[in-house]
Amino acid sequence: MKTTMGHTVSVHAASHGNGKGTAAHIGKVVKNRYVLYFVSIVSLLVIWHFSAVIGESSKYMPTPAMVLTELWRIAHENLAGKNLLGHLWSSMHRVLIGFAIGSLVGVPLGLFMALNRYLNALVKPIFDLFKPMPPISWISLAILWFGIGEESKVFIIAIGAFVPALINSYNGIRLVDPALYDAIRMLGANRWQTMIEVTFPAGFPALFAGLQIALSVAWSCVLAAELVSARSGMGFLIILGMTMSNPAMILSGMVVIAITAYLITVVLSNVEKWVCPWKVELPQ
Amino acid sequence: MNSETKLKDPLSLKIAPWVSVIGFFVVWQLLIDTEIVPRILLASPVEVGKLLIDKLTNPDPDGAVLMTHTIISLIEALLGYILALITGIPLGLLMGWFVVAEGLARPPFEMIRPIPPVAWIPLAIFWFGIGITGKVFIIWACAVVPCVINAYTGVRMANPTLIQMARTYGASDWQIFTKICIPSALPMVFGGLQIALALAWTTLVAAELIAADAGLGYLITMGRRLLRPDMIVLGMIMVGLTGWFIGNIIDRIERRLTAGLERGGAAT
Amino acid sequence: MTDQTTKIECQNLSKIFKQRSGKVQIPVLESISLSVVENEFLVIVGPGQCGKTTLLRIIAGLETPTTGKVFLDGKEVTGPGPDRGMVFQKYTLFPWKTVMGNVEMGLKIGGMSKRQRREVASHYINLVGLQGFEKAYPHQLSGGMKQRVGIARAYANNPKVLLLDEPFGQLDAQTRYLMEQETARIWSVEKKTVIFVTNSIEEAVYLADRIVTLEGKLPGRLKSTYVVNLPRPREHIDKEFLEMRHTITKETELLL
Ligand SMILES: Nc1ncnc2c1ncn2[C@@H]1O[C@H](COP(=O)(O)OP(=O)(O)OP(=O)(O)O)[C@@H](O)[C@H]1O
Ligand SMILES: [Mg+2]
Repeated sequence: MKTTMGHTVSVHAASHGNGKGTAAHIGKVVKNRYVLYFVSIVSLLVIWHFSAVIGESSKYMPTPAMVLTELWRIAHENLAGKNLLGHLWSSMHRVLIGFAIGSLVGVPLGLFMALNRYLNALVKPIFDLFKPMPPISWISLAILWFGIGEESKVFIIAIGAFVPALINSYNGIRLVDPALYDAIRMLGANRWQTMIEVTFPAGFPALFAGLQIALSVAWSCVLAAELVSARSGMGFLIILGMTMSNPAMILSGMVVIAITAYLITVVLSNVEKWVCPWKVELPQ
Repeated sequence: MNSETKLKDPLSLKIAPWVSVIGFFVVWQLLIDTEIVPRILLASPVEVGKLLIDKLTNPDPDGAVLMTHTIISLIEALLGYILALITGIPLGLLMGWFVVAEGLARPPFEMIRPIPPVAWIPLAIFWFGIGITGKVFIIWACAVVPCVINAYTGVRMANPTLIQMARTYGASDWQIFTKICIPSALPMVFGGLQIALALAWTTLVAAELIAADAGLGYLITMGRRLLRPDMIVLGMIMVGLTGWFIGNIIDRIERRLTAGLERGGAAT
Repeated sequence: MTDQTTKIECQNLSKIFKQRSGKVQIPVLESISLSVVENEFLVIVGPGQCGKTTLLRIIAGLETPTTGKVFLDGKEVTGPGPDRGMVFQKYTLFPWKTVMGNVEMGLKIGGMSKRQRREVASHYINLVGLQGFEKAYPHQLSGGMKQRVGIARAYANNPKVLLLDEPFGQLDAQTRYLMEQETARIWSVEKKTVIFVTNSIEEAVYLADRIVTLEGKLPGRLKSTYVVNLPRPREHIDKEFLEMRHTITKETELLL
């Protein structure tokens, strides 16, 4: 905070004495969002740096520069047989397989449950029994069943992706505005045409939102599963940093994880704009 | 499909859920009893039930009775959660209304926002060890994100006409913030509480699975180490049950509070 | 009204909504008998919540009457069908379809080839004055434009009867006035049998060949019928127009 204040004060001092107009002008600069962002980032880095170099604390808290160097190192050196990209790909690979399985089971099941009351009455209660269990709590059973290899991780991810995929496709179809059904029936549609022209397109945005959630849950699940037991992957990398007492490695791993998660959201929201161009964007 | 035909579900539709749940447990039991699924891979419902009764009083083999594990998990989760509420909600509210607060707090917030909660676990353990402090830190780090986002969005969605009106009556920024923005943000804030709680619980279980010396996640891990599927399943059931239970409590509290809010709002 | 063949015939319709497994019964319509001849513009006027939408939905086949029957060209109506076109009170466009996609939907369902239906749909999009907006999605349109799409969609399917349920109820006064003009113009270009529901007596007098009024409390019953023989296009400030409007207003107020 100290540096923030210092910065603001110096701005004031530098342009003082130019009359009232400039004071208002400075007020505007101080309240300008981007100026504030800049101030915030700079002061964050400065505070971080200095808190890390005081005394012995760099054993626990590396400086920003150390994190960057570490990032450079793990990008080039092999850790447990793979460099950073290799580990990232291991995780991604698991995510993609688990996500594919979870959504390929979850979406159709959700659709059928929404369309058929009997199937719904049979499956929903069992699904509700399992729903409150976090996907990661399956890890011990998964390891008992599949060993500590790829399968147990894919299993956890698939369960994690399955739940939001099912819930959203189910709700998407069930919550279609009934007036739209009236409209299409007035145009002469039979049951099949109603399904093709209204049920699916009207349910699609919710279904897609479900897939978005499923993918980000899958990304969390793979990390959790790798933290518990793995020989590769981003989760393995940060837990390795922990066991090697190398906080710079943990933090650089976290940076890569955060960037990946961020990119996933950005890519998916662009895909959404492309596949659902009719969806109204909520003003932020 | 008009209103009348929907009123009465056929009887078969009413009993189907019961058939399905009972059938599920029967099939599960039979799969184990007939050894189609070997006992080292899964325990039967009856075995899990027996262990549940046993674990109510017997601290062996994992060192604590079931209640202790549950309470430890609950305390860790709730401590981190409450810390997240009392830091995250005011921060989000301020960020929503005051440009300076937003400008300064947003960049660091946007940096930690995309980090999946479980990714905090190694750092937290490295900093604070496997005890309660580390857990509380992890829960705080993950639960604070939805608190901030929802409080922020809630303020942002406050009715602009109302704000404009207050301005023309000469209300100060601070008055508008406390009298208009905060009340209108409350429903969103409650939504955030729910999300944060679910997140906190899941993340806590993950943290306990990875490193702990007590708690429900630890029970599950010990079940694997000791090759006791009944212990694993019991742990999972307790996790699900507890999560469902605290979710319901929050739901209740929320409904009571928002009902009071609406009544208060209507009176003015 | 040159042609006198009966298009729609409602015989003694009544509707009782049952709620909570029949414990609560809401009688909404009672003994409604009504007939509409070919190419007639019939307007049903009634205050809010008197069963106008319910009546129209029964004629559309979206709701089954508790007693009574509806006939179209002498055949009993048993469900919704493309021989009746409906314009809904709340626009009810398909949000994932463009203007073109919405208007051609009925033809697509009818199995018309893509090229043909594009042509027909374009014709109706032009007729309602939306040329240039073919590729817009409903959320990009104003209320008046949305309702034009609704009208074009119903027209393009070439129904025998057009049912309009307070189509302009959600529009501002200016747009509403404009849309009334447009409706009269479209109807004069392409004659159709129309049943138009509204709560505005002025709108009714402006558009109708014949007006029937509904009673203002539940259950809704038919009250009076007025034949409007004013020349078209009509002017809101003509002496006869004002007189007609005045008469209906006075009598309607009496029975409220
Ligand atoms: N599906 C239904 N179930 C129960 N009651 C209904 C149903 N549909 C309509 N009603 C009741 O029937 C009454 C008349 O409704 P309707 O929509 O036909 O009136 P309306 O004249 O079209 O009203 P408005 O002018 O508001 O459009 C209302 O009191 C409504 O509550
Ligand atoms: Mg109506």
